[in-house]
Amino acid sequence: MIVVKDVSKQYGDFTALQNVDLEFGNGLYGLLAPNGAGKTTLIKMLATLISPTKGEIFYNGKNINDMDDQYRERLGYLPQQFGYYKNYSPKQYLLYLAALKGIGKKEALNKIDELLEKVALSDVVNKKMKKFSGGMIQRVGIAQALLNDPEILILDEPTAGLDPKERARFRHLLTDLARDRLVIISTHIVSDIESIANEIIMIRNKQLLYKDSVADICATLNGCVFETTIDYGQLEDFRKNNILLSEKQEYGQMTVRFIHKGNSEDEWTSVPPQLEDVFLYEYRDELEGEN
Amino acid sequence: MRVLWNELKKILTWKMLILLIFINSVLYFLLIEFDIKHFPNGSHSYSYEMGIEMIEKYGTTMDDDEFIDFKRTYAHQVEDATQYLQSREEFVEEGLDTYEKFLAYDWWNASEEIYALRSNVFFEEKVELFWELQERERLLKFYEMKDVVPDVLSKKKKQRLEELIAQEKFGIYPEVVMMNFKTFIANVGIAILFSVVLVISPAILKDRSRQLVAIQYTTKKGRNLFKTKILAGIIATFIVITALLAVYFSLYSLNNTSMYFDVRVNTFIANESWFDPTFFQFILLCIAGIYIIGLVLGLLSMAFSTLVPNMVSLIGIQIPFVVGFLIIGLYPLLPEMISIWHPKWLSMISYCAMIIIVIIFTAILWKREKKLDIL
Repeated sequence: MIVVKDVSKQYGDFTALQNVDLEFGNGLYGLLAPNGAGKTTLIKMLATLISPTKGEIFYNGKNINDMDDQYRERLGYLPQQFGYYKNYSPKQYLLYLAALKGIGKKEALNKIDELLEKVALSDVVNKKMKKFSGGMIQRVGIAQALLNDPEILILDEPTAGLDPKERARFRHLLTDLARDRLVIISTHIVSDIESIANEIIMIRNKQLLYKDSVADICATLNGCVFETTIDYGQLEDFRKNNILLSEKQEYGQMTVRFIHKGNSEDEWTSVPPQLEDVFLYEYRDELEGEN
Repeated sequence: MRVLWNELKKILTWKMLILLIFINSVLYFLLIEFDIKHFPNGSHSYSYEMGIEMIEKYGTTMDDDEFIDFKRTYAHQVEDATQYLQSREEFVEEGLDTYEKFLAYDWWNASEEIYALRSNVFFEEKVELFWELQERERLLKFYEMKDVVPDVLSKKKKQRLEELIAQEKFGIYPEVVMMNFKTFIANVGIAILFSVVLVISPAILKDRSRQLVAIQYTTKKGRNLFKTKILAGIIATFIVITALLAVYFSLYSLNNTSMYFDVRVNTFIANESWFDPTFFQFILLCIAGIYIIGLVLGLLSMAFSTLVPNMVSLIGIQIPFVVGFLIIGLYPLLPEMISIWHPKWLSMISYCAMIIIVIIFTAILWKREKKLDIL
């Protein structure tokens, strides 16, 4: 079990995370927040790449920095952007990383074949990676994170560059993996984790906002999410009075999904809240800022 | 071991090897070729041959009896030269019927016809006897001045010269081999040190600019990989230096200077030194110097490679640093490392200081790397 205890991170005057407390057991955790919210900072602290300015992170009661290689040998990590040697084949690249992970060459060769099969790259085992598409590189990245059969798997934006089919395959893979280990996925794409995460962690204003199941997080907006159809002309006024989640043109009118706290109107249809609704609602200021 | 081997392979790639061959070929033809192809050059060949004759006849030192023998040989050659002049009517007609007269003649104010005669002997007919006599006269002058200590020298330099005189270590053997080696080793030093910097500089920066560090440092090996990279850099430096030294010294062997190996450096003309190794020991000393400077520059290159943000900055730092070092530091630390024209302990202190600084610098970098946030 990983325990994040009162962790803060500051870069000079800038605070990236403040007093974060978390606990992770086995299962799949989705770290969901818009870009720049501090997801990568938290992930990098869990991966020992960044040291907390304040607080500590424990694995089974021991500080992960004190555990040193004993922690890292249990860790599989896929950074948001990761490097590779262009003239290496996936096999050479994974053999290189297997050596760093302390895996014997013979054992590594078997494992590499198995993993490349898993990420559907077994037909390009010996091809140079410089010819690979973004999705293929990302799959090599996923394979390297799994090389040492980690107890803790941390993936930062793992679905970047994957097409819908690859994303679906990846979700299946993660569900399998999360049965007997701790998997943490950082993403800003709700659909990546909505259906597979045991718990969702949301960070806002450098602090922990939610750490709960998808159902419980969605329940915070029970009775507040509606859909209705309006004319184009009403849209501006509607935006001013409600928090719009989505807009869709249908038969010359607009179908809108929105949040309204208070008395509803008759023509509005109450709908069950989705994780994306909570995401858009909670981060509306940040997302408006981005736009 | 596998990790070290992998890091070594990343430094010594085929691409790098080809670049190394190219750079060294260019530097060889620009700097080194002359000292191999044209040695001994022109009249220096008489110095070179006479040096060998002296070593074979008198050994690596000359006492007064041997000097008398040397003078006797000179006298015989003077007789031969006189006979030669007397056999040439044109010289006899001009009154140059003995070598003494030939030598004492005011050649600066000679008529064109007489000067043409002299040129004929030296440059057209290339009568070796006259060239040899010139060299022998030069060596005799040095022998006669062997006890002279110039007043203009500093107290310590005078003291050293007096010590050498007391030990009967006089600068009387032709200096051509030593001068040739000093020029050769300085230029080899330039080629090797450039090669080391070229090979080692990108070693650490490359992984960082390729964003590989995050993956590398989260493996079991973790940040200790930095130490392995440094070790791989040191081994690569050693390999590059050894390979290039092997190539360049194979070429140097064509100069055929092994006959001079046992001659002490202080017995070469104008080569007074604080210490007195043989010529061969001096060669070994220079090789050791190249290894030390190479390893220091290799480690510094890795240090810069750790600190700078990109390749352009790395080149920006390395070029003035390396060129500055080669201009200011190379001669005092390599061919002139024991010469009395530099302070006695300058090279020793410089080498120790370089080693200590680079070790401290590397240790600081390792400490920094252990704690560094990988953003």
